[in-house]
Order: sequence, then C-alpha cells, then structure tokens
Amino acid sequence: MDKRVAIIGGGVAGLGAALSLDRYGIESIIIEKSPKLGGKVTGYAHLFPDFKDGKALVAELIDTAGRSPCIRVLTNASIRTMTRQDGRFELSMTSGDAVCADAVILTCGFEVFDARKQGEYGYGVYPNVITAPELELFLDPEGPTKGKLLRPSDGQPAQRVAIIFCVGSRNKRLGNPYCSRICCSYSTKQAIEIMERHPDANVTCFYMDIRTYGRGFEEMYQYAQELGVKYVRGRVSECSALPNGDIQVRAENTLMCRPVQGAFDVVSLSVGMAPCSDGAQIAAWLDLELDPYGFFQAKDDYLSPYKTHQEGVFLAGSISGLKPIRDCLSDGFSAGGDVALYLQRLHQGRA
Amino acid sequence: MAKTGSGEKGQPDYGWRFQGKIVRLCEDRSVRMDESSHLMERALRQMSMEYFALDRCLQCGICTEGCPHTKLETNARFSPRSFIQKARLGLLDLSGEDLWLCTQCGQCKLICPYEIPFLDVMISLRSLVVEQGAGYVPASIKGVLSSLSSAGNPWKEDQSRRGEWYADRDRPGNLSGRQDAVMLFVGCLPSYDKRAQKIARAAAELLQRAGVAFDILGEAEVCCGESALRAGDQGTFERLKAINTRNLAKGGAKRIYTLSPHCYDVMKNRYDGLEASGCQVYPFVILLHELISKGALPVRNGVHKRVAFHDPCLFSKHHSIIAEPREVLQNIPGIELVEMEHSGEKSFCCGGGGGGVWRDTAKGERLAEIRLEEALKTGADILATACPYCLTMLEESARGEERYQDLKVMDLCELLREGVFS
Repeated sequence: MDKRVAIIGGGVAGLGAALSLDRYGIESIIIEKSPKLGGKVTGYAHLFPDFKDGKALVAELIDTAGRSPCIRVLTNASIRTMTRQDGRFELSMTSGDAVCADAVILTCGFEVFDARKQGEYGYGVYPNVITAPELELFLDPEGPTKGKLLRPSDGQPAQRVAIIFCVGSRNKRLGNPYCSRICCSYSTKQAIEIMERHPDANVTCFYMDIRTYGRGFEEMYQYAQELGVKYVRGRVSECSALPNGDIQVRAENTLMCRPVQGAFDVVSLSVGMAPCSDGAQIAAWLDLELDPYGFFQAKDDYLSPYKTHQEGVFLAGSISGLKPIRDCLSDGFSAGGDVALYLQRLHQGRA
Repeated sequence: MAKTGSGEKGQPDYGWRFQGKIVRLCEDRSVRMDESSHLMERALRQMSMEYFALDRCLQCGICTEGCPHTKLETNARFSPRSFIQKARLGLLDLSGEDLWLCTQCGQCKLICPYEIPFLDVMISLRSLVVEQGAGYVPASIKGVLSSLSSAGNPWKEDQSRRGEWYADRDRPGNLSGRQDAVMLFVGCLPSYDKRAQKIARAAAELLQRAGVAFDILGEAEVCCGESALRAGDQGTFERLKAINTRNLAKGGAKRIYTLSPHCYDVMKNRYDGLEASGCQVYPFVILLHELISKGALPVRNGVHKRVAFHDPCLFSKHHSIIAEPREVLQNIPGIELVEMEHSGEKSFCCGGGGGGVWRDTAKGERLAEIRLEEALKTGADILATACPYCLTMLEESARGEERYQDLKVMDLCELLREGVFS
C-alpha cells in the first residue's frame, strides 16, 4: 500500500500518531513549525501524577521515531497553503517545498493563555509574578537555577509561594468560560515539588474548585495537603507589589467568609489553555468546524472522536479540547489506527 | 410570581409568608432548608431575569474581595458572593440592614469573571422589599422615597424653589431651534443643598463665560429618579422619568448636560423616551472638556495646589469616563494632579451611591473615611471630584475632624471657576 500521511504538529500527539502508523508500515511526515520535536512537554521536567521524567519521555518518543524508516520529519516548517485535489492533500510549504498526502492528522495542540490579559495580577509588570511554565523551568533540576526557586527580582531563595489557579480559565469576561482541566493537577504537582525540596516553605494555593479528576490525581492532591500545602478557596482579585518586591495577594476565603491577605516571595499564575492559534486558518483550508472557542469539532465525540466531517482529515490531542499528556499520547496512537483503517479501505476501493 | 391564591386587599399572594426572618435555625444550629426557603427561591427565580444569572455564579469570592465594604473592618460581613449563595438557596434574610449596604458602585460587576449583574440583582431584591413589603426598609430610605413620590425631590421641598439659585440670572427663553443651545439638568442636591448649589453656580458662570446658550428646567425639573430606581422603587422612578422626559422635550435643547453622574447614568441608560425626541444626554464634565479643547474657556489664574481626583464610580466604573476630568484639571496651570491608591477604574466608592447618601452611617463605618485617608496619604491640598453625592459624602465625613482640616473637598466646576475668573 503506497499511501502517505501528513501529521501537522510534532508534539506528543503527533509523535504518537506517527509511531502508530509506523506499526502498520504506513509512511508519515511530521510537519513541525518550531525547530524541534516534542512540543510543550519538553518544558516539563516532571509529569503528574507519577513525577515521570517528561524530557525522557519525549526523548524516547523522538528516538523511536528517528529509527523508523517510515517517519520523516520537517522542522522549522510552515505551511503556506493546503488544498485538496482528487482526494489527495497538497501542502505547499513556505520554503517552496511541496508535500502530498492521502490523509492528514491535525495535532497542533494548544496555546498557553497570555497572563498579561489578566492585568490585575501584574504579570509582566511585577518581576515576582511568574506563570506556571516559568515555575516549571525553575523546578527543573537541569534548568537555569538547577531546580531552585528564586525570586526573579533579586535572586534570593523564595520561601513563600502563592499559586493562583484558574488564570485565563473559567472566565467569561476573557472569553474563556471553560475549565482547562489540567491546571489544578499541574499546580498541585508543582506545589509538591516545592514542599518536598523545602519542607519549611509556605505554599498557598488559591483555588475555586479542585478538579483533580484523573487516575492518581486526587491522591496527589491529598499528598500535597499532607506535605502542608495550603489550599484557600477564593479567587484572588488583585496582586500588588510591596517596596521590597514582595507580592501582596488578597482574596476572600470563601469557606471562612473572611477576607484574607498575605505577602509572598513569588506568585505563580496557573495559566489555562487556549485553542491553537493556527486553528482558524487550517479549518478554513480544510473546511472544518470549530467550536465557539476555536477547538476543532470531531465528527462524533462519542463514536468517532478522531474523525472530522471531512474524509481523510483526523484529529488528535488538545486540538479537539484540552487534555493531559497521557490522553494526548493515547489520542495519537488511536488516531493512527483510524487512519490506517481509512487508508486500507481507500486502497481496496481503488484497487 | 408563583401565585397560590388571592391575597388580602389587593396585595398579591406570593405563596409564602415572610416572617421577618427567612433564615431560621434548627435546634442543632444548622440552617433549615424547608418549604419556606424553597418557595422564596422559586419566587426570586420567577421575579426577574437577573436571577437566572445567579445560577452561573462560581462562588469564587472575587466580588467580595473587591467590594469596598471588605476594606471596612466593621462591615466585613457584607459579601456579594454570600448574598448570591443565600439567594439561590432561598435563604436570604431580608429583615436586616445588609440589603441596604450595597452602594451600587459596580466594582463587583467589573471584576466578576462570569459577568453576574449583581447590581441588578440587588435592585430586584430591593424591589421585593420596597414594593411588596417583604422585608426591612431603613426609615431614611422610606422617607426619601415618599418625598420623591409626592414632591419630586428627596426633601419634600417646594418645587417652585428648585430654580431659586438661578433666579437672579437672565433666562434665555425657549431654546427650540437653536442648534447650539444646551439644557443644564441640575439635579436635586445642586438645586436645593446650600453647599452643592455652589457647583450649580460655578457651572452656570462657566457656561456664561464660554458664551454657551443654555437654560435650566427650573420648577419643571424633578429628581432624575436614580435613587428611587436603585432603592428598588420602580414605580416612582417611572413617574419621575415620564415628567422629566416630557419637560426636557418641551425645553427645546437637543443636548442635555447633567451636573451629577447619577442623573447622567439613568438618563443615558433608562430614559428611553429621550432619544425619541432627538435629545442626547452627556455629563457636564464632557462639555467642560469640549469647551476647553475649543479654547472657549481660557484659564487666567494659576491654582497652585496639589489635587487628588476622586473618580465618581458612575463615571469610572460604569461609563469609563476617566481621562476627561483629569484633562480638565490639568488644564489649570499650577495644579499638581496626584493619584490616590485606588483611582480610575479601580476607584474607591464614597459610599453615596445606591441610596447610601440618604442613609445614616455611623462614624467609623463610612467608606468616605477610607477615601479621605487615601487622599491624606498623597499629601493633597484639595480632594476634587465631579459628583454632588461624592462631594457631600466626603465633606460630611471630613467635617469637624482635625486630621482633615487641611484637606479641602471641591467640585471640579468650582476649581475650574477659580482658574477662569480672577
């Protein structure tokens, strides 16, 4: 069977799809716009809930893909336009190259919410207000601070840390009323990492509802509380900087019906996820449906979650709604299976 | 409303009885959720569309943290979040003062991630109490509502004295057909209150100096009805609105300028008949801004003072009017404009909105006191504002207090007047 699949996006979902197709002996080409494969998972030193090494996971996926004769990779590759002719997809790249494929898997992932849009928290204004991906970098043993959490303003060790949940999620005013699903869990994981390394630290999480919904997630939340991570139910209205660089945080402790406030060395914003920024363009090329927020709509969320309304176009990973890493990978593997079956039928139909 | 039977003497029967207190405690001190709370919840749900918005509330508490009352140590009990929670469980206690603490400043609405119209919810609940007797109305509010209803102003004053402050001036006659003519909607405080009349006089002098053809409605003007509306008295509001709409249309001027942001707010948002007669309403500060930009109001004298500007909530939080008053002030040479801890959109309420200006609030429980402290911290000589309510609230709280004796509260019109006239 001489068929080829274009996979748009080289994160874990795209790699999973390529490896799945490889098992069926189907040729695929991964088109990645950034310089390297692995997507956002490359930024996570440890994954939740098992603290597995995220970089090792990505390295293993890339390594396996690299050894496959069926998988080709284009990095730094942007698509100029995409058309469909006689059932085949023609992708012309900005480099001038052209790629032909019999099926397309969209694995473009998501964007991290831009915390500047929630101005009341002062991200980009106060140096000691950081975002969760930046905290992840601080907590990376191989990162620039060798795993130490420091105050960006003066490089001093941070002992008092506030983590604000639901930044850019569950917020109708910002146009993101949905729950980003993974922030409660990754923030809890980060809180555990700080507490395990610094048992004297004060880590306070300001949350609205704790949604640790996956297998092992709730147990991780319990463990965080055993370690002494404090959870305060209340949305922070404002962060302000004190003259020494501390960040003053105010909220209502809604369970105590009392206003609470505190000064922290570092405030980390648990930013939510937004739909992939290239989504609208891709949807226009392929005549696909987007939901009101900009996530791709599957043909049927129950029965055909990886298919779209267009024959030969498939979805995997967070492009169709936000998912934790495990689900993105299994999406990729499953979509690969769907594509293999589709190509086999196509082959038989033509033969 | 869920009607379960005919009521007594024309009073509709809402199917439940308010026994003064709705939250009743069981012997074990837990809140009892029973038939009465269920009926109240149903009644509230049917009462207003706003109520449906309550179902969206996440109970995150950001409104409570943002609410100016939280900054008052004595009043930390007021929580919009908790209000919503109780309302949707039918466990609201309408027999107490809480319903009347809200000043309708709009901070909660501004920061709510789910855009819950809490101000409208409050108005609906107050309607329940004011129009249907379902709870407690402070005596001061009752008095004002009754005066507004019978006399057209909050003090049962003689309507014929409404234009008295203006009596010694020449009235220009009918303004119909004069494209450039404007109508000054004075409002109740600047019409009757000795102190606030100074704002009206300053405004009139500035208009004369700028050569603007203008008039006031005089005794044909009644209260704009904002206080009645925000206190839940829809009926009185509608009557006042009808009188003003009719008389403004008769007045002839197509452009109406209000001295108070409160008049502006309701006339802009709720006077649907005005537009039909081709009238447009603006706040007075916008006219000043325009006249200054055109060079029609040359400022001759420097006012060498440090001035902090207190944004009226209805300007900053409800209508995003933030830059204009500041630009008017900065146009006066010598003025050093300083900003308080809360300014612009994050401005801190004086406590006068939503009927607050009519309520008696004990010393130590006034929002204006917090605002005065913020002004002191800036080292300002003058605390300027652009609202007669704010002026009254701030000045009343500063009166007789030694720590505020060097801080003067002034309206923007008065300050500009000092600059324009020698």
